[in-house]
Amino acid sequence: MAAQDQATAPGTSRSLARSRPRYGESVIKVVLMAAAMISVATTIGIVAALLEPTIEFFSEISFGEFFGSTTWGPLFNPAHFGVWPIIVATLEITLIAVVVAVPLGLAAAIYLSEYATPRVRKIFKPVLEVLAGVPTVVFGFFALAFVTPLLRDWFPFLDLEAKNALAAGLLVGVMIVPIVASLSEDSMAAVPNGLREGSYALGASKMLTSVRVVVPAAFSGIVAAVILAISRAIGETMIVAIAGGFKAVFTFNPTNEMSTMAAFIAQAGSGDASVGSIAYKTIFAVGSLLFIMTFVMNWFSARLVQKYREVYD
Amino acid sequence: MQNVSVRGPEVPRNIEALDPVFTVSDLSVFYGAYEAVRGVDLTIGNREITAMIGPSGCGKSTVLRCFNRMNDLIPGARPAGKIFFHDEDLYGDHVDPIEVRRRIGMVFQKPNPFPKSIYDNIAYGPKVNGMKGKMDSIVEEALIKAALWDEVKDKLKQNALSLSGGQQQRLCIARAIAVKPEVILMDEPCSALDPIATTKIEDLMQELARDYTIVIVTHNMQQAARVSDRTAFFTAEVDDAGERHGRLVEFDETSRIFTNPSDKRTEDYITGRFG
Ligand SMILES: Nc1ncnc2c1ncn2[C@@H]1O[C@H](COP(=O)(O)OP(=O)(O)O)[C@@H](O)[C@H]1O
Ligand SMILES: [Mg+2]
Repeated sequence: MAAQDQATAPGTSRSLARSRPRYGESVIKVVLMAAAMISVATTIGIVAALLEPTIEFFSEISFGEFFGSTTWGPLFNPAHFGVWPIIVATLEITLIAVVVAVPLGLAAAIYLSEYATPRVRKIFKPVLEVLAGVPTVVFGFFALAFVTPLLRDWFPFLDLEAKNALAAGLLVGVMIVPIVASLSEDSMAAVPNGLREGSYALGASKMLTSVRVVVPAAFSGIVAAVILAISRAIGETMIVAIAGGFKAVFTFNPTNEMSTMAAFIAQAGSGDASVGSIAYKTIFAVGSLLFIMTFVMNWFSARLVQKYREVYD
Repeated sequence: MQNVSVRGPEVPRNIEALDPVFTVSDLSVFYGAYEAVRGVDLTIGNREITAMIGPSGCGKSTVLRCFNRMNDLIPGARPAGKIFFHDEDLYGDHVDPIEVRRRIGMVFQKPNPFPKSIYDNIAYGPKVNGMKGKMDSIVEEALIKAALWDEVKDKLKQNALSLSGGQQQRLCIARAIAVKPEVILMDEPCSALDPIATTKIEDLMQELARDYTIVIVTHNMQQAARVSDRTAFFTAEVDDAGERHGRLVEFDETSRIFTNPSDKRTEDYITGRFG
């Protein structure tokens, strides 16, 4: 202490200017900025790449035909470009997935965060995260080879087609359960313990405390989890291609084979659509639409979170 | 310490006749294998304010949290000995801890309002307990009793976290009152507050003692002297094995504890000579 006091005592010549330049700092700053720029640039690049063929597409096919008719078959002859069948299929499979994943994921999150002992949680959480890493082709095959036959056995009156939106949606739901559960659990675990104690001290049960205090306090995190899960569901390709099929029929009946937007892109993209052909441009038009849908949903949910979140310090 | 102002005659009550709400006998509390508190005998009088004072870590909170079975929520926490609430064994097999907590409210050290509106904070307890009656009037009554109504009546829909710390703590008291408990436990309710907010809470406690039994943990001796009827002084003792255990040293009317304690350790503590 004494030596230090002396060194900085008034009258000594030691200046407060930095003694040697800190190059490391500026190098790191540049590296980090470059990393940030790459992801921004990639996004811009994707948008730009989508944009040009999309504009070309709409110079050939009118908005009116694209959004105004309900027959889809860009790869057929004669080709049809009414996009509604694949939009409906996408939304319907996503809806089925959400109906499965939100209750299941939230229940799992509540269990892990509020009921499970630390030991159980320590085992369960990584298992959940492994589940999130299962290749979706596995889920797709499982839906086709196992779930659809099972559903046909149990509910013969449904008259399920061999490929159908129901089985695909269920398995997309299973696929996104870990996302909902894991991220929701994170945000519930971050709720201060004092809030739980405050609730218990008023004579609330564990269930009521979880549902009425912890879940609302973690609401913004839970919404973020669900949105991320929905984004994954909308874009999910493998499961819907394998178990949902490629037949684009304008129907709301999930027992039918349906082609989603992502499935169409996979189908057309892996076919022999030559560069510059209308089939090729259709891929980009559908891609742009998918992009916009995801974007709008993210924006909408950000607003929602802003409006309903419960802020705690 | 003769000049410490003890709770004055403006609230005249005969504190001699002790009508027990809690009767604690030979209470020890374990956290796992660690005996945090050992051998406490204590009686909490009806509609009295009982203060628990003592140095930090001597087990005041631990004892307090036995009164509403809050310790049940801590894995490994286990009481031994007996606590009677009136003539019912608080830890008896038939006792539902949720019912216990409805009858015995608690206010915490750090104000912990829910991140909801002021109204919803108060309405929460009555709702989860399925209380009958018009919610608006339940909320209003609780806020009036907690001396907060005038300050918040025009902003009941505002988030409770927009209130100041002192207001938040009174909101927590109102929240506790709303479920119509018989006892209110307070664990250092003013330690996060400024002196003015502290005075308000102390006044409020005096007011509430007409209707409720209050047990308050405080590290502030003046506060205990100002507000309480009886004071329990705890300290930590080190046993032969080198483990610290909380012990109740002395329990008496507050005026006696602060003017004429019978134990040397109490005297040392209240005169500030505590090691
Ligand atoms: N949840 C807990 N687990 C283990 N030990 C605890 C726990 N809470 C308190 N203790 C221990 O019990 C003793 C008494 O603590 P506490 O009742 O909080 O004291 P006080 O409120 O008087 O400061 C301390 O030694 C503390 O470390
Ligand atoms: Mg304490």
